[in-house]
Amino acid sequence: MKPHPPKYALEFLRWFCREDYLEEVEGDLMELYDKYYKPSPARAKWKFTWNVILYFRPEFIKSFNRDQYISPTAMFRHNFLLTYRTFKRYKTSFFINLVGLSCGIACALLIYLWVNHELHVDKFHEKDAWLYQVMENWEADGGIRTEFATSGPMAEALIEEMPEVEYSTAVAPSSWYGFSRLSLSVGEKNIKAAGQYVGKDYFNIFSYPLIYGNKNEVLSDKNSIVISEKLAMKLFNTTEGIIGKVVAFQHEQEFMVSGVFKGIPHYSSTQFDFVLSFEILKETRPWVTSWGSTGPLVYLVLKEGTDIQQFNDKLRGFIKKVKHDENNSRMPFLQRYSHHYLHGTYENGVQTGGRIEYVRLFSFIAISILLIACINFMNLSTARASRRLKEIGIKKVVGAGRKTLIFQYMGESILMAFFSLILAMLVVILFLPHFNQITGKELTFCLEQKLIVSALLIAFCSGVIAGSYPALYLSGFKPLGILKGKLNASVWEFWTRQGLVVFQFTISIILIVSVWVVHRQIEFVQRQSFGYDRENVIWFDIEGRLKANTDTFLSEAKKIPGVINAAATSHSMIKHNWSMQGMEWESRSLDDKTTFQIAGVGYDFIETIGVEIKEGRSFSRDFGAESEKIIFNEAAIEAMGLKNPIGSTVNLFMGKKEIIGVAKNFHFESFHEELKPLFFVLLPHGINKIMVKIEAGKEKETLEGLRNFYETYNQGFIFDYRFLDDDYQALYVVEQRVSTLAEYFTGIAIFISCLGLFGLAAFTTERRLKEIGIRKILGSSEFRIVHLLSGDFTKMVLLAILIALPLSYFIAIWWLESFAYRIGLKWWFFMGAGSIALLIAWFTVGLQTVKAARINPIDCLKDE
Amino acid sequence: MIEHSLGEFEELVLLMVAAFHNKAYGVLILENLEEKLGKKVNISAIHVALKRMEHKGFVTSGYGGITKERGGRRKKFYVITALGKRVLDHQYALRTSIYQQIPKISFG
Repeated sequence: MKPHPPKYALEFLRWFCREDYLEEVEGDLMELYDKYYKPSPARAKWKFTWNVILYFRPEFIKSFNRDQYISPTAMFRHNFLLTYRTFKRYKTSFFINLVGLSCGIACALLIYLWVNHELHVDKFHEKDAWLYQVMENWEADGGIRTEFATSGPMAEALIEEMPEVEYSTAVAPSSWYGFSRLSLSVGEKNIKAAGQYVGKDYFNIFSYPLIYGNKNEVLSDKNSIVISEKLAMKLFNTTEGIIGKVVAFQHEQEFMVSGVFKGIPHYSSTQFDFVLSFEILKETRPWVTSWGSTGPLVYLVLKEGTDIQQFNDKLRGFIKKVKHDENNSRMPFLQRYSHHYLHGTYENGVQTGGRIEYVRLFSFIAISILLIACINFMNLSTARASRRLKEIGIKKVVGAGRKTLIFQYMGESILMAFFSLILAMLVVILFLPHFNQITGKELTFCLEQKLIVSALLIAFCSGVIAGSYPALYLSGFKPLGILKGKLNASVWEFWTRQGLVVFQFTISIILIVSVWVVHRQIEFVQRQSFGYDRENVIWFDIEGRLKANTDTFLSEAKKIPGVINAAATSHSMIKHNWSMQGMEWESRSLDDKTTFQIAGVGYDFIETIGVEIKEGRSFSRDFGAESEKIIFNEAAIEAMGLKNPIGSTVNLFMGKKEIIGVAKNFHFESFHEELKPLFFVLLPHGINKIMVKIEAGKEKETLEGLRNFYETYNQGFIFDYRFLDDDYQALYVVEQRVSTLAEYFTGIAIFISCLGLFGLAAFTTERRLKEIGIRKILGSSEFRIVHLLSGDFTKMVLLAILIALPLSYFIAIWWLESFAYRIGLKWWFFMGAGSIALLIAWFTVGLQTVKAARINPIDCLKDE
Repeated sequence: MIEHSLGEFEELVLLMVAAFHNKAYGVLILENLEEKLGKKVNISAIHVALKRMEHKGFVTSGYGGITKERGGRRKKFYVITALGKRVLDHQYALRTSIYQQIPKISFG
């Protein structure tokens, strides 16, 4: 046996000695050691150690600052070349990574555009920071109800009484009118446009720039109208020289154009084509001047630095003072105008959410998809690490530090991410029109600075995330082990890769379940029986000649072939219109705060929309004094606690009324809302809509007949109708959009996960090709080989199912909570989602394993 | 001639390098010096001298081939340069010329 010098002395020497001297010094010491060893081993050892200590002096101690200067450009070129070669050599994983990451980045970019748009809605007003809306909390049965509307006089009263208010305006929004469109005409030209009534400081409060007209004066005359550029082009074919021209409104009133404003930007939640003075509304609808009614929206600009809390306290006292009522249950408060769009939901007087939930949801989806794509990259790079072992080993031996290697692999993944970004941008440009259609937005992909920075940041972050694990993992190899070919994959590494696949599939399964539940719920809502028949019901506004002659029009209209029934109504049957508190009946308790929805209707309305009468009768022309009668729905009777409702009387602001019937419950609002108490009364005035039931299958002819009749009867007005069903669908437009989007994104997430699985399966089968060959020679069947190869993947997906199902259950419950009427969660939603995931995974893996199992053993065993 | 200064021990080592032309390396120099001087010399001292002289340009060095001795480590061979030789010559001439000035002294 060859004598060994003292281990610690040698290690010490190797540790401190300059590398360029080490070999010579060590060699000489060894030679001397060998020489002295023969006569006396102990002396040789001692001498060796002593000599080592003598070397410990400045000339021989190395510089411990190890990083030597490497030309960055050269290194970069080298890395770039290596990356290029790797990509070229392993084309499958390159394409899997490229496709996966581009899909991920494209999704992230689209969602970024959408989220960015959502976050900017209504934020463009100059005085945004101090622009508030007066909202009201009402005490109602079962908690506090929050209303966006307040009383009309509030605007003027506040600016007079409160020094903090700089500007204020009352607004009667366009949504008050039928489907938000009113008739305007110039000469023979007749169009419908959306308009609102606003106070004189409107343009001081909201930053809608005026092209013509002074923002302080355009609305000072009550007969003025301010129109949009687009409307001006439609009415006058020009925007120049139209100030002072006359526009007829609803063929009744005439207004003078006093200003023209630029088109409302699409990131404004309020959209309108013209404005009229609120003063004129006070003449046509006197109730807007009363403190007792609510309806108009009131906006304020406060002076900078106002304490909102204090102001709210003052408001509460203020409303009691002006109403001379200490027990008033109305609690006005201020809310930032730009806050509404994202945070528009209130529960029991507390702001609970709104669109911001969808913003969060989609941000989460974007990050998940990006993460799934990054995981693909990690898995494929680490799985293929064995292919690059020699490269890493040589580099380390030649002197590459860990940092250099990390830099190289990071660079590789970041480069990959930037390739993907370019592809992703193309995808975004290609799909943006379609995306806009789904989301109902007008997003554009213009390369402005902010977008570029965000896109680069997204790409860079995904590159870093994707590269982090491979870089740390690959750079950590011991060169000796690699070059000797003794690299045992550690258990930890194996678990990490499996864990990442499980994570991917967990997210995919959660998405599948969620999409399924959302889809079912929306389907449920749309297929639900409403308690009335909304199919083939159209409605339109009562305008012009119809106002005075509603009954004649209706009886004539009923004669048109195909018209089953027609009636006037003030209730839209799809959303909250008009409600009241303070109904009096026999057994009413004193502190009762039941809110009743009011459906002011004409004869035949209940029959037209097919609401069933459970007890008693409907309104009929055969009886006299029907305007003294009232019909409640079941919910109202229940809330009032009446045992024998028919024949008893109630007292309300319209006077005493006798109950003649009870209607079966029906849904007159979105399914987000509980069924509320409601009553029908005959209204002599103020009815603004006509609903017509049309025979199924004859829609086209009947509508043509109605149009001809309407346009001859009501000259100058356009027959502008809508189907009740379409309006109903529109109630769920947000859910619909979310559902469609979520379906797409889920598809993409599954696709990317499968790509990763495909790559991994391809790799493992390739590695085990020889094993498969030997197994086949020894008589294994193809089925057994497929089974063997798919086993691991099956286990991973099963584990993912196990993790994902409880999680998705909670998510589904949470989402469904926002609906008052919802589907029950069935076990097969979850089982179905799990099976889908498993089947997709099997199919993906199967593509590879079946191919591998069918291989001719000769092909894989003939080499070597 | 500060940069061309040559210490006493360095001179001895340089002489050895010159004497074992092309074959001089640490242990060989050590053994021969010990033999000539008749006393123990430390190997690190020789290395220090060699490195210093290499730095001054009196010697150059190069690795030999791998052999089984020394645990597979290569020997580093030192060769005297022209400058080294000149310095040595100069030193020798100086000493000789002074030595020849010594009158013949007899110490009984």
